[in-house]
Amino acid sequence: MTIFKQTRLSNGINLFVHPTDKFKTVLVQLIFHRQLAEDDVTECSLLPAVLQRGSNSYPTRQQLAHKLEELYGSELTADVSKKGERLFVVFNLNLVHDQYLPDENELLRKAMTILKDAINNPVMEGEGFKAEYVAQEKEQHEKVIKGLINDKIAYSVERCLQEMCKDEPFGVFKYGDVEKLRQIDNKSLYSFYRNFLEVSPVDLHIIGDVEPEKVNALVEEVLQFDRGDEMSIPDTVIKTESGEVKYISEKLDVNQSKLVLGYRTGLTYADDDYFALLMYNGILGGFPHSKLFQNVREKASLAYYAYSRLEKHKGLMLISAGIEGKQYKQTLEIIEKQVEDMREGDFGQEEFNNTQIGLRNQFLVEEDSPALVINRALDGMLSRRVEDTGKLLERLAAVTREDVIRIAENVKLDTVYFLSNKGAEQA
Amino acid sequence: MNKIVENTLLKEKIVWRRIEPGLEVFVLPKKGYKKKYATYSANFGSIDSHFVVEGEGEELIVPDGVAHFLEHKLFEDEEGNVFDRFAKLGVSSNAFTNFTNTTYLFSSTDHFEQCFEILLDFVQNPYFTEESVEKEKGIIEQEIRMYEDNPGWRIFFNLLTALYKEHPVHKDIAGTVESISHIDKEVLYKCYRTFYHPSNMAVFVVGDVDADKVFEQVAANLGRRNYSSQGEIKRIYPKEPRELANEKIVQELVVSQPIMNLGFKDLDVGYGGEKLFQRELATALVLDVVFGSSSKLYNELYEEGLIDDEFDAGYVAEKEYGHTIIGGETADPEKLFERLTAGIKQAQQNGISAEQFEHHRRKMTGDFLKSFNSLEFIAHNFLAYHFKGINFFNYLDVLQSLTLEDVNQRLREHFGEENRARSIIMPKIG
Repeated sequence: MTIFKQTRLSNGINLFVHPTDKFKTVLVQLIFHRQLAEDDVTECSLLPAVLQRGSNSYPTRQQLAHKLEELYGSELTADVSKKGERLFVVFNLNLVHDQYLPDENELLRKAMTILKDAINNPVMEGEGFKAEYVAQEKEQHEKVIKGLINDKIAYSVERCLQEMCKDEPFGVFKYGDVEKLRQIDNKSLYSFYRNFLEVSPVDLHIIGDVEPEKVNALVEEVLQFDRGDEMSIPDTVIKTESGEVKYISEKLDVNQSKLVLGYRTGLTYADDDYFALLMYNGILGGFPHSKLFQNVREKASLAYYAYSRLEKHKGLMLISAGIEGKQYKQTLEIIEKQVEDMREGDFGQEEFNNTQIGLRNQFLVEEDSPALVINRALDGMLSRRVEDTGKLLERLAAVTREDVIRIAENVKLDTVYFLSNKGAEQA
Repeated sequence: MNKIVENTLLKEKIVWRRIEPGLEVFVLPKKGYKKKYATYSANFGSIDSHFVVEGEGEELIVPDGVAHFLEHKLFEDEEGNVFDRFAKLGVSSNAFTNFTNTTYLFSSTDHFEQCFEILLDFVQNPYFTEESVEKEKGIIEQEIRMYEDNPGWRIFFNLLTALYKEHPVHKDIAGTVESISHIDKEVLYKCYRTFYHPSNMAVFVVGDVDADKVFEQVAANLGRRNYSSQGEIKRIYPKEPRELANEKIVQELVVSQPIMNLGFKDLDVGYGGEKLFQRELATALVLDVVFGSSSKLYNELYEEGLIDDEFDAGYVAEKEYGHTIIGGETADPEKLFERLTAGIKQAQQNGISAEQFEHHRRKMTGDFLKSFNSLEFIAHNFLAYHFKGINFFNYLDVLQSLTLEDVNQRLREHFGEENRARSIIMPKIG
């Protein structure tokens, strides 16, 4: 696929158009960039919910939902996500491409107008957002924050990261905290929002069967809001030393215990050695053929899932497995042995080849998903390393065994987090 | 010899051929996609636990979770682990078992033909040893434990347990730690022999591939195996009475707030085909009107903080059973229950208007079109519906064939008091 067309619009929005006729849909993502910071994240994650409550044209959630349904089930959703120490507030607009709709030829414009309205014309009350909406969304948001515990796998991974990065911005939970939430009111949130619109860097991605010139004109016409001087967002700080390993344990009344290990890799997507790390992670725990799956699950029958994954913009690697509490020590030993084997270069040519070709497959199929195409572009922009699939595959193919063994030295255990049930061993 | 199903609105077509001894093979060519996705499904799921064994005439009741167990074990044969064979080609393979079928799949970019051959081979080559069956029990036990902590999974099965007195749909797909302890290689072979004959299976391939080549490859592979033909499989399902098993099941788990699901057991079952598809789409439309995000009820409940935006209402239609499930997290399960049942009563009195009917039909049309970006969605749905005697490509036509009276009748008849049960998860204290 040809790489996107990038334009800076007159109001400072960075427009990225990805023309392709593969999909039935057009996906629009409006992305606000923020520094990931404790005193900011609660407002940022509350905002999208309040903005989706209504606009001047569709002043209630019900009217807005009705209008979107009328546009053949167009979806407007919003959420926050983080990459490294950067927070993204993302608005998604997903709609059918109207070439599949015999009675419709302006769907993108109509849907974009709804998005614009949600951003530019929220329902106001005096100097603030409508107070009722903010109060209700605060309640909903409190439930979102507290709801992390409902998914024990996600909870244990998040808790490990929080403990590991206690003194770094990366340890901040993307939905903020309840204390901070309670201090927010409709006026404070609105004044936060005015500034948010003015200074946050903004990207707009559009992927689908569209013509870049037409989209440029449409966005220039529809999506206007006052912009000031863009804030600059510092790069993520990458710690390479981990000091003494921290052991954290927590007890909950659950059936399955969760073991999560956090490592510092010192390498990010921006580094030349990133692909060696990607290979390292793949051999260790990215696939069913990997060491963790083979040794923890297939050989020892200790777990149903056991994998490793990278936090590619923060230089971290996480290993996660769901086990019987009493098998904590045995599992930890097996996992540490696998990491040790990586350091010793104790992996076969077959493991290496399988991983290389498996990763190649993953890069290729990313092009089949509109959201993943945008995600890759965002990774590239963030790391000042925008590369097409061909280039990425070249870099992947260039990685040698020696590269993997060399970077294995950098991978250092930082934190062992154990969420255990009642009958478990002590960590 | 090829049949072609075309949908002009979707601008997609499926090429289809029946290959001896009775395997249905479907190909959807998708130009421009890098991914080539293939699935091989057996019409054998967790509910098929009582049947007559092929070739023996013996009626057998198997331990719960056997279809899922068999799925795990097919990935191993004399030569070792099947994952390894796919891994050499850079391909991820996987499988899943649900109530009604078991599906094996891979997603490739290069080497499609080699991967497809591995898929065809391993699914047709069962190899179970006592040792490997025992070893798998530890892994599946951890899979079961993982789901025991999953509130969404627990509330779902508790609801089915409340709705169904007899039908095995209320039993967990993976079985229990106890039930899988009774599984041995003999029972796996019996299930395999009964349900994995090509005439009880189907293949779906989607991606930038040549349909005729796919057919030729399947024909050559099957041709080598000297299958004899198999008669109809005799599956035995218990008669599900009208009564519920329970009106309400409550469980405590470590969660941040309660969850409530309200369910309605369908009493109009026992058929497949287009009639079933109509019933399904009519019910989906009703649920969208009454509980969807543009409904008055949804918005009132949301504003009162009784639901969040994950609140959902869905309907499942199979030949042998069907049910509606409505609900989500809530601050007050009792109050939500009252409000939902009052909302249904109100909707039944008001009826659905012609305008609402058209509006939601339009939305469902858009939703269907959007979902066609996903090759996985297409493949999984097409085969699941195929086993119910439904051509999934007819979705839009069936939707158009519905009448306002169909959906109003559904609204009046499906939501009664005698077929209604609740499942609640409460936060565990301490």
